[in-house]
Amino acid sequence: MSFTIATSIEDALAALAAGARPVAGGSDLVVGARHGKAPLPDSIVAIDRLSELSTITLTDDGLRIGALATHAAMMLDATIVASYSALADASALVGSPATRNVGTLGGNVMNASPAMDTGAPLLVFGAMVELRSTSGTRSVSLPDLWVGPGSTSAAADELCIALVLAKRPARSGSAYVRLEYRRAMEIAVVGAAASVTLNDDGTAGHVAVALTAVAPTIVAVGGLDAALIGRPVDEDTLAAVARAAAEQSAPISDLRASDSYRRHCVGVMARRAVEAAGRRAGGEAIAIPVNRAYGIGASR
Amino acid sequence: MTPTTQPRFVRADGPDKVTGSGRYTADLTLTGMLAAKFRYADVSHARITKLDTTAALAIPGVFAVLTAADVPDVHFGPFVADRTLFARDVVRFEGEVVAAVAAITPEVAQRAADAIVVEYEALPVITDIEDALGAGSPLVHTGWSDYGAADPVVRDRNDASFSSITKGDVDAGLAEADHIVESRYVADGCHAAPIEPRAVLAQWEGDKVTIWTSTQVPFDARAGVCETLELPANRVRIIVAHLGGGFGGKCGFHYEAHVAALAKATKRPVRLLFSRREEFLAPDRRREGMVIDITTGVRNDGTITARKAWIAIDNGAYTADAGFFPQLAAMHVAGPYKIPNVHVDAHLVYTNHQPSGSVRAPTAPQTCWALESHTDEVAAAVGMDPVAFRRLNAVDTGAVGPSGQTYGEIGVQQCIEEATKLVGYGQTLPDDEAIGVAIGWWPSFAVPSGAYLKLDGDGSGQIITGAQECGTGAVMTLRQLAADELGMDPENFELVYQDTSVAPYDMGATGSQTLFNNGRAVVAAAGQVAEQLRKLAAEFLEAAPGDIVLADGHAHVAGSPSSTVSIAELAGIAAGGELLIGHGSGAPPAAPPLAGSSCVGDLGMASFVAPQFSCHAVRVRLDRDTGVVRVLEVGAAHDSGTIINELGALGQVEGGVMMGVGQALTEGTQYDDQGRQRNAGLLEYKLQTCADTPVIRTHFVQINTPDAGPRGAKGLAEAPNVATAAAISNALAKLVGKPVRRLPMTAERVWEAMQS
Repeated sequence: MSFTIATSIEDALAALAAGARPVAGGSDLVVGARHGKAPLPDSIVAIDRLSELSTITLTDDGLRIGALATHAAMMLDATIVASYSALADASALVGSPATRNVGTLGGNVMNASPAMDTGAPLLVFGAMVELRSTSGTRSVSLPDLWVGPGSTSAAADELCIALVLAKRPARSGSAYVRLEYRRAMEIAVVGAAASVTLNDDGTAGHVAVALTAVAPTIVAVGGLDAALIGRPVDEDTLAAVARAAAEQSAPISDLRASDSYRRHCVGVMARRAVEAAGRRAGGEAIAIPVNRAYGIGASR
Repeated sequence: MTPTTQPRFVRADGPDKVTGSGRYTADLTLTGMLAAKFRYADVSHARITKLDTTAALAIPGVFAVLTAADVPDVHFGPFVADRTLFARDVVRFEGEVVAAVAAITPEVAQRAADAIVVEYEALPVITDIEDALGAGSPLVHTGWSDYGAADPVVRDRNDASFSSITKGDVDAGLAEADHIVESRYVADGCHAAPIEPRAVLAQWEGDKVTIWTSTQVPFDARAGVCETLELPANRVRIIVAHLGGGFGGKCGFHYEAHVAALAKATKRPVRLLFSRREEFLAPDRRREGMVIDITTGVRNDGTITARKAWIAIDNGAYTADAGFFPQLAAMHVAGPYKIPNVHVDAHLVYTNHQPSGSVRAPTAPQTCWALESHTDEVAAAVGMDPVAFRRLNAVDTGAVGPSGQTYGEIGVQQCIEEATKLVGYGQTLPDDEAIGVAIGWWPSFAVPSGAYLKLDGDGSGQIITGAQECGTGAVMTLRQLAADELGMDPENFELVYQDTSVAPYDMGATGSQTLFNNGRAVVAAAGQVAEQLRKLAAEFLEAAPGDIVLADGHAHVAGSPSSTVSIAELAGIAAGGELLIGHGSGAPPAAPPLAGSSCVGDLGMASFVAPQFSCHAVRVRLDRDTGVVRVLEVGAAHDSGTIINELGALGQVEGGVMMGVGQALTEGTQYDDQGRQRNAGLLEYKLQTCADTPVIRTHFVQINTPDAGPRGAKGLAEAPNVATAAAISNALAKLVGKPVRRLPMTAERVWEAMQS
């Protein structure tokens, strides 16, 4: 077994090329090994000291979030809170303060769990993943990256460097809500993220919805445009969102919930996400995370 | 005796635990120490056809592999001797220990445990408690009529212990009723889930063994080692480091003898550390699943005429301490109500599940949940407000209870009054909120207990007690009792405790009994030292011993405060002569008599010594779209007699309420069809967290209870865990329109109830 600490991205890439697996916060790798999910890899390279990977930068093209940005950093980052609120909502719900301070966005994305909270927000923002290896850098969309539970299309020697999120249009809002049975140390039973951009007349101009824990990967809800574009975000459109989300989900039954309950609830989460995103797009301040503001477990 | 002026007394072990300097069993290491691992059955019911340890023993670094063949052939168990240290011929639940390994590291020990060859012939797996009672059911223990058992235990096929309570004529009572309400409620099993998984470390010196273990009951653990390894009590010493929670899960004798046997075989110290998964699967201390059928007859004026009930309790594969559960459950389904005609049958049923055992207020939260949910249904049948209905029917001072016990002064009516006031019962609420109310009761356990107390030459004191601290703070309160008896400050006393070779017997942190019984012992021991001090002071001050008052660290003559001497000075004098040493026990109060009732399988629980009463009123919010419930506010009123340590008492109530919220909403064991646990971990077995904690308002109804413990104190550790789930259920039923008849009332179950 070998364990090395990378002091530069080049170090890390060289280690990966030699067969090492990267570890940042270790909140998936180490916990998974302890629970017998998968043994620790024989060769590990620690990338947690690569501070250049933990920056969150707003550029003319959009927001660039380093792979090592922690959930704690993202839930408090002013730009994310204001303009990419769904990602802040999701980051604030992850695990516990300890998890949020070690867990990273890059680790989340590359772990490819269909239950990850940050995945659905990234999907509605159309985020691109920057992957780098000793042979170069490429940019991949999330639907192309995630191929199944715990499985990605990235090559073993590719390191996730950053997530790049497109610039947000004016009058846009987003939200992430999840079904949870308790308020900390929880994992999403189901969840939904929504991004809404309003037209000048207050009707919906663009709506994107993505779902958590109802399919082998985080999935986008398709075909919403016909039901929503040019219409107000009201009871009818929200009902259409709920229906579409439930219909397009393919949940399993497990210890946390049955498939039928998940299917029902993901519709509820989707309508709440769109409602909150629409209200935020209209300028309303709803505190992070929406789960608490809505009191999921409370009113709709 | 001057009551202390420190009503918010801070526990002495707090700084140790908060700063991390406190040592738990898992923190202890000894030179040359080996690691222990168990090989478990992994199947729920099977005959062992082959057990071969050769390959395991051949692994370098393995020092010993033990099976049933290596220990005395002893069956044990407090009510039914149905258990052996290692499986013999047949395994009856997945967590049964088949073999134990000691090796140089935990990893090597685990590899060796995995390398043991065990082959089985499958036997029918019995998981359904109602089916198990059927005439055609296969048996969990085929030859168990030959096992030893306590005299009153009624045994019949898979019925491991049967109890009934009969009073009056239940059929005649039902015939007098204007309405008859029948309900069925089903509770899943759940867990104590202490945050510290258990740990045991054993070391032999000659023919004596010292065992450090995370137990709530050191003397019980010692008795188990002595019985199974055939040793006299004076050669086994049990020491407990700080205990990281127990909640009943660490009551009973568990793995101390396995580790002692490994240490003996290897001639090395051996330590066993449980993983979280093992903590869920192996110990015989799961909270029992139950099926509860209740029928109540009621007159139009709201008077209950009769109650009939049938209860089946999942015993699991072995009886552990659950023998008395049927009688306790029978008392809880009758409840603290004035009912003239009662008939309850309660069965403890063998299955191939993990064995059940005393988890905080065994049988009570589930049975109270069923009874009190049913009580709201009965109140609705006669169109009465549920609180008014309880006020009318609940027992009161001087009333006769369902088992024929006449109560002395009790405070259940005051509890109803105070709890409902705490949450503003009757206020107008948003339409997704409601308040539910439930009452509960719990006995105090009167048992023998002992303590020593000494003052050294500098005037500082030590209390040497057999009592065990499991997180409740009850042991800490002993300092306060001693200090008050001697007119000293609690800070003058250090506790020496949790060591069976140093202190006299105590039953341990179980049955809410520490303060009730060990408090009595400490007061008696302190009383002896007080007598010695008065005699010394009388000589010193030239007065009569009867005129000496002990207060503020001094002895003075009554009526002349200037005639005074410090207790420290008297202790210095004593150090040169007759030493200041007291010992105490005191006789536990006897159980009150019963009249007009009969009990089959009577294990002494139909009569409640110094009964404790409670009422919880809970405001909840329901997300009607998802069935998710949030508990917003809890009003908890408790009659636990005199409150000696208010801070400790509040902690008990708040902890008990939160445990109740978990049982109500999220904590339940899920099984596969082979009787194996599916959610044996903290991700899928959902404990409540700090973030889920509601506002908890507590009121103590302090009345003068007959047969109580020191200063009129009753128990308090279990009572706050009794009525919370029931009150949540009643709030929820108002929002859903009917009760959710399955515990835990998970979001999905609530949602399902709303659909049907």
